[in-house]
Amino acid sequence: MRKRSAGGYLAVPAWAWLAVFFIAPVAMVVWFSFGYKPGIFGTHANDILSFDRYFEALSPTFFATFQNTLIVGITGTILCFLIGAPVAYWMAFKVRPSRRGILIALVLVPFWTNFLVRTIGWQVILSPEGWMSGLLQAVGVIDGPLELLYTRTAVIIGVVYNYLPLMILPLFVAFDRVGPTLREASKDLGAGKISTFFRVTLPLSQPGVIAGVLLVFIPLMGDYITATVLGGAKGNMIGQLVASQFQTAQNWALGSAMAVLLMIVITLTIAVAALIIWLVALPFRSANRLVLDPVSNDSSDAAAPAREEVSV
Amino acid sequence: MTQTVTETIARAESSTRVRRAPRSWSDIAFGVWGVLVMLFLFAPIIVIVIYSFNTGRLLVSWDGFGFDAFLTILEKPAIQNAVRVSLITAFISAIIATSLGTLAGIAMARYPGKWVWWFLGLLLLVSVTPEIVDAVALLPFFVWLGQDVGLTMFNDGIVRLSVGSSLFATAVVSYIVRARLVGMDANLEEASSDLYANPVTTFRRITLALAMPAVLAGFLLAFTLSLDNTIVAAFVQVSGTTPWPVYVLSAVRSGLRPEIAAVSTIMLLLTLVALALVALVLKRAGDSATQIARTMTGG
Repeated sequence: MRKRSAGGYLAVPAWAWLAVFFIAPVAMVVWFSFGYKPGIFGTHANDILSFDRYFEALSPTFFATFQNTLIVGITGTILCFLIGAPVAYWMAFKVRPSRRGILIALVLVPFWTNFLVRTIGWQVILSPEGWMSGLLQAVGVIDGPLELLYTRTAVIIGVVYNYLPLMILPLFVAFDRVGPTLREASKDLGAGKISTFFRVTLPLSQPGVIAGVLLVFIPLMGDYITATVLGGAKGNMIGQLVASQFQTAQNWALGSAMAVLLMIVITLTIAVAALIIWLVALPFRSANRLVLDPVSNDSSDAAAPAREEVSV
Repeated sequence: MTQTVTETIARAESSTRVRRAPRSWSDIAFGVWGVLVMLFLFAPIIVIVIYSFNTGRLLVSWDGFGFDAFLTILEKPAIQNAVRVSLITAFISAIIATSLGTLAGIAMARYPGKWVWWFLGLLLLVSVTPEIVDAVALLPFFVWLGQDVGLTMFNDGIVRLSVGSSLFATAVVSYIVRARLVGMDANLEEASSDLYANPVTTFRRITLALAMPAVLAGFLLAFTLSLDNTIVAAFVQVSGTTPWPVYVLSAVRSGLRPEIAAVSTIMLLLTLVALALVALVLKRAGDSATQIARTMTGG
């Protein structure tokens, strides 16, 4: 018992480190968000507390950015799932096990390559004077130079690309855990490929799906680099808005309120999405429910009709 | 002509059929999709590597093939300095993250209790908070520590960058070490103390030894993560100690030149070596491909 209580102290340095350099700074930002910007040279003041910065952050100019971020976030997450799920499925069930290691390595290499550099790679590909533009013009798909860079489409391509490995890997792990046994049982019981996927594989890999969606959606909403590199100087994501309040406008109070709002929006979206999925799945769940009668008390009664049926 | 082609295809198909069971159209579709997505994942990286041999003035417009960009690196002290700052801060922050994360991971795996859930909650919070929020929170905090509280060390760029990139890395190392030790029961530690080893010896020779592959993997991952840290670094950096990603970010605004791609190609090679080492360490420790994937995504 003594050993147990002593061992927990090993985590104290990490506790302290994160409390000082994570919790305290974030708490400070929350505190700033209730203040205001005093004059041109000050960054923040907290002698009068109010929710005014929050209303300011939700004024029409900034609200459009919140809306755009949400559109990019949701579209990007859905696209990541639609593109990534078949790949994870392919890796888990269709590829020979000996090749899996190399495929995982292939997914990991882009993931561990510098985020900014990968995004710049897309800038090179999508730029009007780049090779992709030349190729498409030569083939005759487009007439003029490619006009994709610095648009919302470019940002969506960028975020889907950047966060795709974060979707593929947890999905692969989840599919891999399902294993072949239950899927074969489902096939033996007459289910086709599609109904095996939707009624056996997908429900069993639910934790992986949730992990993948959250791992993609949360950083995507706070994205700053992709939007800056591919979305152009004006930009359209909250991350850029927060950054500009701190770096150029020097209005820390407003920037803090935007940062807090960003976290609130992320949490709310996840909660709403969870609720919608739960409601949509409700009828299916009750239809698929398998009720097992308690057999402890009168097992003879339950067994009797079955025997009769067999004899008939 | 067409007939012979069709015949050849038919023969080829039948011979494939003899070799293995027939593949359905859906298997082929999955394979094609998988390969396409892999190409998609590598497209920009390949482009960057190719364009690092661009002799033109601007990165995006291809001029000709040459090693000019790599030679320019030698003439630009700003680039060398940026890479040096990045390597130093990544090393310091990896050491901080590995020591804190290892202790925390061992504590979580070996001394469980209600506190573990609180601690996991904190780690989760650290890893899901958008980086931009972290960044804007650390900037005023460091300014406050350095100027109002009077801890002048927080005015130093290297200290700020190391601390800033150690936070997420600490969470990742804690997850990895915990995941490894949770999978093994504590028999060896008990045996060790039954044989009269004192707690410190048991910790050093048994627990730490068992956790070692995860600790090494965690260190390399923390190093790579810190090397890539861009957003937090862009906010907390002090002029004079600009790390490499922030140098690149400012180049995005002022105009990208092929040197950027050249340094990125070199860094890519370094990252690949680090990743290969992680995979080797984990494989030696007996992890399967799936477990390696889980470890490397920090879960």
